[in-house]
Amino acid sequence: MDIFDGLLLGFSTATTLSNFAYCFAGVLLGTAVGVLPGLGPIATISILLPFTFGLPVDTALIMLAGIFYGSQYGGSTTAILMNLPGEASSVVTTLDGHQMAKQGKAGRALAAAAIGSFFAGTVGTLFIVIAAPLLASLALTFGPAEYFSLIMLGLITSMVLTSGSLLTAFGMALFGIILGMIGTDINTGAARYTFGSPYLLDGLDFVVVATGIFGLGDVLINLENERLRVVGVAPVSSLFPTAEDWRRMTAPILRGTGIGVLLGVLPGAGVLLASFSAYALEKKISKRPEEFGKGAIEGVAAPEAANNAAAQTCFIPMLTLGLPGTATMALMIGALVVQGVQPGPEILSQQPALFWGLVVSMWIGNLMLLFLNLPLVGMWAKLISVPYHFLFPMICVFMAIGVYSINNSVFDVYMMALFGVLGYFFKRMGAEPAPLILAMILGPMAEEYLRRTLLISHGDASVFFTSPLSLGTLVVAALLLLSIVSPRFRKVREEGLQEVD
Amino acid sequence: MKLSQDVLLGLFFVVFGVVSVSIAMSYPFGTSGRMGPGYFPVIISSLLVLTGLLVLFRAQLVQPEILPAIRWKPLLLIPGAVVIFGLAVETLGLPLAILLLTILSAATSIKFHIGWKAVAGSLAFAALCSVIFIELLGLPIPMVGSWLRVLGF
Repeated sequence: MDIFDGLLLGFSTATTLSNFAYCFAGVLLGTAVGVLPGLGPIATISILLPFTFGLPVDTALIMLAGIFYGSQYGGSTTAILMNLPGEASSVVTTLDGHQMAKQGKAGRALAAAAIGSFFAGTVGTLFIVIAAPLLASLALTFGPAEYFSLIMLGLITSMVLTSGSLLTAFGMALFGIILGMIGTDINTGAARYTFGSPYLLDGLDFVVVATGIFGLGDVLINLENERLRVVGVAPVSSLFPTAEDWRRMTAPILRGTGIGVLLGVLPGAGVLLASFSAYALEKKISKRPEEFGKGAIEGVAAPEAANNAAAQTCFIPMLTLGLPGTATMALMIGALVVQGVQPGPEILSQQPALFWGLVVSMWIGNLMLLFLNLPLVGMWAKLISVPYHFLFPMICVFMAIGVYSINNSVFDVYMMALFGVLGYFFKRMGAEPAPLILAMILGPMAEEYLRRTLLISHGDASVFFTSPLSLGTLVVAALLLLSIVSPRFRKVREEGLQEVD
Repeated sequence: MKLSQDVLLGLFFVVFGVVSVSIAMSYPFGTSGRMGPGYFPVIISSLLVLTGLLVLFRAQLVQPEILPAIRWKPLLLIPGAVVIFGLAVETLGLPLAILLLTILSAATSIKFHIGWKAVAGSLAFAALCSVIFIELLGLPIPMVGSWLRVLGF
């Protein structure tokens, strides 16, 4: 099937009345929850997950994707109006976006973010259309050694790009791998770490752990600082960028999109890296670098474009290789598995309607967001100022219903409570849980591919270095690790990855 | 040794790692060519123990940060309320389970006071959620739990 046929199929899938409606519901709900302070995409998806159960697979996936980029848009609104980033990748947006809001230019900052995101989303979607089929056919030639090296690269990238120390991130990743190994070993059928409990034979459900650590854990952290929570929302004035604004933001949006599209494909924390790199690049090449951090519109448009472009293209490794590039994508895989879909290179050939419908709905969703967000920004601002003590009980209820409904199992609800406490503990110990989440899904894959590789090579580990692709991937991973030792990169990383609170 | 973030985290890694290694030792290890179910867990858990020790070692090098006081009330009550939801959802049914979770978790907030608004709000929320999830989305969650059905509801 060529691209054109695919797009036609996609349009016919995405524009059925129910898919269109659920795409709309997804972006609307995603934005509504995403604007709530302190809720990043992972928490948003886990809160809204129960709304996608009971839907047909393609509809559910379309709605999930809608929730995902809706939450990204919502996150930047909060970042600009309240100076509260919902996730690490919106930290950059707060730098100049909130300064603009303080100067009474909140509407123009929001417009710059929305326009940049829409343009980037369109390009990102086009890139998926072109690159995903190529990569999927390439992926069919990958052996277990290549997969194993790619997984290592993904894990290492996510560790390097996590705030806090590398050692802590390494520990978190190892802990995540062990959590992932709970359950029946697929090769030998041996039950591992199940403590004789039948509930653990199928393993810990990934969505349960993510919801507990990110959703419930964040609620616990937020309640800790309840007294400190300030609700100051900047007023929104004119939404229309001036001619000067257009002139200043066009090139940054183009550059940001380019950076985002390419970095989003990289396994690891692609979205985060994209927005930081785009901001750094703009600051470097700007004629007025002194304006950055004081309300430069370039500093809003470029990282937002990069952020959204990467948010689209990070679907590529997930859809074509079945490997999640980010913790959010790992959660998406978890949600897909709940729906009975195993992402991987076969998805394109076996379920083309699903793939193309998703791609087209991404673009439609971005279009909806552009027209939804700008006129509705007053409503979002009101939603931001809803006091937290009204919100968090509802958040708890949605998460509990969602987790229960995955397997209709009360045990999962208890597990979520446990991981909520654990998530709180990790946050308080200064350990970011993102590598844990990614490792939990990548760890068992790594074991499986390692086992297959060594079985074929009779225990000879040198195969990882004789296959050119595997060698190249490992070299990139090693360079990333080495780069963190260099003091110069260290400084950039520390500046870039300040604590997101 | 003063308690600091790193000390607690390091201890957590070491203890979890040691438990994990000792469990994994009982699984057949196999060889590199034929990995048994214990091969990967033993390696990963040992690495975790090592990482934990390094974190503990690092804790000795730097000035410990003072741990801020913990607000125990939400930390205990919210997970407790979630567990109660789990206990109630099949026995009492979804609406009552939601009501319990809403009120118990809301009670942890410093701004909480019980009044007719809070009661009416949580009742409406429980009813709305039950209608959305059970009637509209068709999730297989009981509206009326097993205990209540015994009583003849």
